[in-house]
Amino acid sequence: MAEGILVVAAVLIFFGIVFGVLRLTLGHTVVDRVVAVDMLTVVSISLIALYAHVAGRSIYLDVALVYGVLSFLAVLAISRYLERGL
Amino acid sequence: MLEFLVWLLCGSILVSGILAVRLDSTLTAAVSGALASLFAAVCYVLLGSPDVGMTEASIGSGLSVLIFLYAIRRTTEKVP
Repeated sequence: MAEGILVVAAVLIFFGIVFGVLRLTLGHTVVDRVVAVDMLTVVSISLIALYAHVAGRSIYLDVALVYGVLSFLAVLAISRYLERGL
Repeated sequence: MLEFLVWLLCGSILVSGILAVRLDSTLTAAVSGALASLFAAVCYVLLGSPDVGMTEASIGSGLSVLIFLYAIRRTTEKVP
């Protein structure tokens, strides 16, 4: 049961990364690509958390935590740049 | 179980690098470079070195985009 849930989560993360990269490749404007990068950041954090459970090492959760704290910085800078503020 | 995700991340790094080279706008090239760095950080974590992944995520994906944007802003000509 628990193994099945982990497999379902891995498949969902797989399709999240596939469609995010597809949007980044086909994206018409800069805003599409920035939102795709933001979504891929969230998917990456969930992937690290899933791997922390699979590998059984809780030190990886610290990496996910630091990543979640710092990941908004790039999107914030790009948004500020698009509004001519940087 | 997660080996196919590592292969997918490697392919995504390749796609992001090619996009960063081939795109016309410098801003979208910077965004694609940030994405390549992000996937590289996740790949480092999945391959078993979380400290390298943490440093790559904070510096490569966060700080370098900031410096790139500052450089783009300072070097583009203002239209009078």
